[in-house]
Amino acid sequence: MGTSVIARRAGLLATLALCVILLALVPKLPPYYVRVADSILIYIILAVGLNLVVGYAGLLDLGFIAFYAVGAYAYAFLASGQFDIHLPFIVILFIGAAAGAIAGVLLGFPVLKLRGDYLAIVTLSFGEIIRIAINNADELTNGPQGIAGLDRASLFGLPLTSPVHFYWLLLALAIIICASVYYMERSILGKAWRALREDQDVVRGLGINTTTLKLLAFALSAAIGGAGGVIFGSFQRFVSPESFTFQESLLVVLIIIIGGVGNIVGVIAGAIVLVVLPEVLHFAAQYRLLIYGIVLVTVIVLRPGGLVSPRFNLSFIIRKVRNLWLSPSKT
Amino acid sequence: MALALENVSKHFGSLVAIKNLSLTFDVGSVYSIIGPNGAGKSTVVNMIAGSYSVTSGAIRLGASVLNRLPKHRVAQLGIARTYQNLRLFDGMTVLENLEVCFFPQSWLTYLTGARRLGKSERLDICHACLERFGLSDVADTLAGDLPYGRQKILELARAFVTEAPIVLLDEPAAGLNHTETKDMAALIASLKRADRAIILVEHDMDMVMSISDRIDVLNYGELLCSGTPELVRTNEKVQEAYLGTTEELDTIRKLAQGRRAQGGLRSNAGIVRH
Ligand SMILES: Nc1ncnc2c1ncn2[C@@H]1O[C@H](COP(=O)(O)OP(=O)(O)OP(=O)(O)O)[C@@H](O)[C@H]1O
Ligand SMILES: [Mg+2]
Repeated sequence: MGTSVIARRAGLLATLALCVILLALVPKLPPYYVRVADSILIYIILAVGLNLVVGYAGLLDLGFIAFYAVGAYAYAFLASGQFDIHLPFIVILFIGAAAGAIAGVLLGFPVLKLRGDYLAIVTLSFGEIIRIAINNADELTNGPQGIAGLDRASLFGLPLTSPVHFYWLLLALAIIICASVYYMERSILGKAWRALREDQDVVRGLGINTTTLKLLAFALSAAIGGAGGVIFGSFQRFVSPESFTFQESLLVVLIIIIGGVGNIVGVIAGAIVLVVLPEVLHFAAQYRLLIYGIVLVTVIVLRPGGLVSPRFNLSFIIRKVRNLWLSPSKT
Repeated sequence: MALALENVSKHFGSLVAIKNLSLTFDVGSVYSIIGPNGAGKSTVVNMIAGSYSVTSGAIRLGASVLNRLPKHRVAQLGIARTYQNLRLFDGMTVLENLEVCFFPQSWLTYLTGARRLGKSERLDICHACLERFGLSDVADTLAGDLPYGRQKILELARAFVTEAPIVLLDEPAAGLNHTETKDMAALIASLKRADRAIILVEHDMDMVMSISDRIDVLNYGELLCSGTPELVRTNEKVQEAYLGTTEELDTIRKLAQGRRAQGGLRSNAGIVRH
């Protein structure tokens, strides 16, 4: 074993330690930064969820934020004075995910025969329909005024009150979701999704029910969106339709495209860039969409595959790390 | 198990691509479907595989009527195929192209974890298949990065990996050079088995004549003749369909001479430019 291997291992350990330390230091920062970190984590969760549909199954869904809304309103209905129901946070987290999944299947059934642009148009409309329905169902949702005074969430007896608490919760959830999606990606389900993205007819010719396959992607992705929505609702303790506009769906799609379609590492990078950039450029807040547009065009021109190369993905990193430990000669 | 086409017709608008075709394919043999371009060979393959609906008639496999089932159900009943134009999953590795064939076939088996095959079993089968088709060295290469000849073989492997009793091969030798075609013929011949019917659509006559147990000749969507290679080779109607009658040949020759006198055949010019 040469010194170079030892050096590389040390370097790797140092990198890992640095990541952990950075993540652990975030709560020590001023509240503003913790909020930005929370926001990044929420968008990571959403984008990893949507990526199941867009990146793996290859279906462009422009109405993803509707599932987020379903989750947020699930929390608002089940943990507030609105109907005087006060369920525990963890229960609603699962209910929100399930409600998201059901909404995903309901949307999926009618639209999955469509392809490409048509699917994008219908999902876009679906997102808008959900928002407008919430806006108009006054008795249920208070319409545009929204529902305020949602319960303070608590988890296993620990109250979730500050952005720091949510930081830990979101970090845990983001890690769990990334790990599960990574597992799925590597399983035969992930392979079937990738095949579906390449040639749907051939996949059917292999005896695979492509409708089921797409519905599964829609349902899982919508469940992640729903769970994200529940956390959002409990964090804001206020929900109103204006949080769920088409712009939000677009932002999640942009995160995926700019970061790297179908790549968890890319999606994380995309979320960081697109959440941090408007914060840095907050003096130009009214130009937010313009900024997104410029970033999108720049990335598409300079790095059409996204900021992170498709080869630099989680499997690649994990393989590198494993090889460095088990068979250093291979690296 | 036998596959039977019973009075099958296929119309594309006003075009009659297949007209009252009845054929039976039994496991244990290699069948070839031949005929001039546009005769309807691929249409037959596509109808059996469930890619095309049939206009009238029935396609049966055992007790099932295939033409009433959705395409994935047809495949599940044991019909595998290749395509006239390569259709691999280019962005996936050679191994993954085979693995995908073992995706659990129903919701229930997937959700309950009662998968058809465990992961290690699946990998064993796929690796054995790669070995069999001489693709082990490229197991982790992206299918799209393989040279054309090996892509053709990979598509063949994908059709055989699930041990389907009926395998449809649409022009496996198209675009291959002479040696590759010979190897392909030997490979397909070696895949003949008592529990499998291979249905081959092919233009390469050496290959068809050497490996078929029966040849079905289509012309303009109709069965012209059907029988052993010797029978088909000597059948006059077949020669006419492929080469034209002697009178027609004479006419063509005369026309060609006339044109040449006027400064060359237009179709020739096209060929030269290629
Ligand atoms: N999807 C389709 N729509 C309309 N017409 C079609 C379609 N598929 C095939 N045809 C027509 O049906 C006829 C038979 O076509 P087919 O592809 O089966 O021929 P083939 O025997 O496979 O020819 P080749 O040797 O060129 O592959 C042709 O006239 C073709 O134009
Ligand atoms: Mg053809």
